Amino acid sequence: MEIYKDPRKTFGEALVAAGETNKNIIALSADSSSGSGLTPFQKRFPERHIEFGIMEQGIMGFAAGLATTGKIPFVVAIAPFVTARPFEMFRNDLGYMRQNVKVVGRCAGLTYSDLGATHQSLDDVAIIRTIPGVTIINPGDPVDIVKAVHAAAEHIGPVYIKVGSPPMPVLMDESYPFRIGKGVVMQNGSDVTLIGTGTVLSKAAGAAKILKGKGIHVRLINLHTIKPLDKELILKAAKETGKIVTVEEGYVAGGMGSCIAEFLSVEHPVPMKMIGVNDQFAEPGPYEDVLALYGLQSGQIAETVEQFLKSGRHGRFYEI
Amino acid sequence: MAELNAAEKKELESVAVKIRRNVLRMLKAGRSGHVGGALSSADILAALYFKIMRVDPLNPGWPQRDRFVLSAGHKCLALYGTLAEKGFLDHCILDTYGAHCTKLGGHPDMHKVPGIETNTGALGHGLAIAGGMAMGLKMDGIEAKVYVVMGDGELAEGSNWEAAAAASHHQLDNLLVFVDRNSLQIGGKTVDVMSYEPLDKRWEAFGWRVRVIDGHDMDQIVAQATDIPFEKSKPSVIIANTIKSKGLSFAENKVEYHYWKATDEGLAMAERELQAIEERIK
Repeated sequence: MEIYKDPRKTFGEALVAAGETNKNIIALSADSSSGSGLTPFQKRFPERHIEFGIMEQGIMGFAAGLATTGKIPFVVAIAPFVTARPFEMFRNDLGYMRQNVKVVGRCAGLTYSDLGATHQSLDDVAIIRTIPGVTIINPGDPVDIVKAVHAAAEHIGPVYIKVGSPPMPVLMDESYPFRIGKGVVMQNGSDVTLIGTGTVLSKAAGAAKILKGKGIHVRLINLHTIKPLDKELILKAAKETGKIVTVEEGYVAGGMGSCIAEFLSVEHPVPMKMIGVNDQFAEPGPYEDVLALYGLQSGQIAETVEQFLKSGRHGRFYEI
Repeated sequence: MAELNAAEKKELESVAVKIRRNVLRMLKAGRSGHVGGALSSADILAALYFKIMRVDPLNPGWPQRDRFVLSAGHKCLALYGTLAEKGFLDHCILDTYGAHCTKLGGHPDMHKVPGIETNTGALGHGLAIAGGMAMGLKMDGIEAKVYVVMGDGELAEGSNWEAAAAASHHQLDNLLVFVDRNSLQIGGKTVDVMSYEPLDKRWEAFGWRVRVIDGHDMDQIVAQATDIPFEKSKPSVIIANTIKSKGLSFAENKVEYHYWKATDEGLAMAERELQAIEERIK
């Protein structure tokens, strides 16, 4: 039976645990503490919780300045407001200045489905990955979230972590070794590689199960780190399965699939299918319905993979 | 309030001329640069680095040091010139300004030049970063202060006022901002481009304590900047009325010298003027 956990609560508890062992960890809130899961941290370490109000540009500069004094600030707020809105501060004050700041975008992707396009962050991976030296972690389940918080706290340099909102099923074994920049093969297979990340990893896993029932052997990868890209694992998958399908809850343009395509098109071109949101502002609505609108439900992913394998597009690809 | 004796004042004025000479030296090498604001802020930098701030060129990362943030990063010629005088970098490096792979870019880079605390250039970033430094120092119980030089044209950036509000809210009374009010920006007079008046009232409304001085008068700079906070629990700001391109009479208060593409003749003229000032101080 699947166990579901609240991702924001999970994040908040992990931050408290990290804060117990590392006194330099501080939390910065943009009027978003309770919604970001920071309440336990605020209670446990009131002097290490700093409120900035709805100040999503200023908070980045303050975080950079705090980091120069040895603090490890975790800036937590709604994902688009810590990425798209203060992009220049993220780039210059955290990236260019190489400051040890962790930015956590919560309710990332489509998870704020009902609040519409202003509150969804479909472009965060695309824009933040252009900043040299920034690590991007998109945890695929509650176990990943906990491990990502600890790994980010130990990593020296700016990190962006995406955290969703609806309860997430536990997919990973708690004892597995999480390493930044290293994807995880969750299921071996040689027909096609299915790479999932973040909130829709579970949907990709569901698709793999459906396909297994149909005799299609999927190699399922949890790509919890989007940058730096696990080139070794991806290259191996491309060589051994010859076909890759990516699944992400964000824009295809510039997203995880795009990162992989940029790499493979140069190193080892294979046919690819990228599932995500295309060039449009997403429609508001119930989360699962919105996911379905963009083909991100397990059944839809399985169907897309099946069609992709049947279409023989990869054959034509090589003729070109 | 700290008062300068005659010898100290002469010494600081002499340092300021050396900083201006360093600015010219870099211009001679690179042929162009943001001169106007560098020269309007040179006296403030001389006073900060040679009288007010506690910094150690031999130990630039000293945790107890005072911090300096040049929010208006384009005034970096003055900062490079000051750091060279203070011993953070060799004077000969000034001659690389404008060269390929120089450490002295058109905006400062903390990873290339010791003594530089922040990478600035895009305007409206410095105050928030400085606020974070001030906050971090307070959390650690370190008594150091954080000093910022901002341009007045820069004040149109809304991010500054986010930072001003947060610094006040969090009672960062270890923070002192100088607004280098030379009243000119690329597009002309700041009052015409985007008015910020009444500037003192604006800062006051954000919860800061404000003083207004002549930013070229060493007595005033030192007297007003040494006893911060001006009021306990409040951040401090000094509005320093200055003259763009101060020291070069032919360029003073002329917006076209915001970024000067210097000719040999212009540089020779500038050199003569600085020499005359130096003679006068002696």
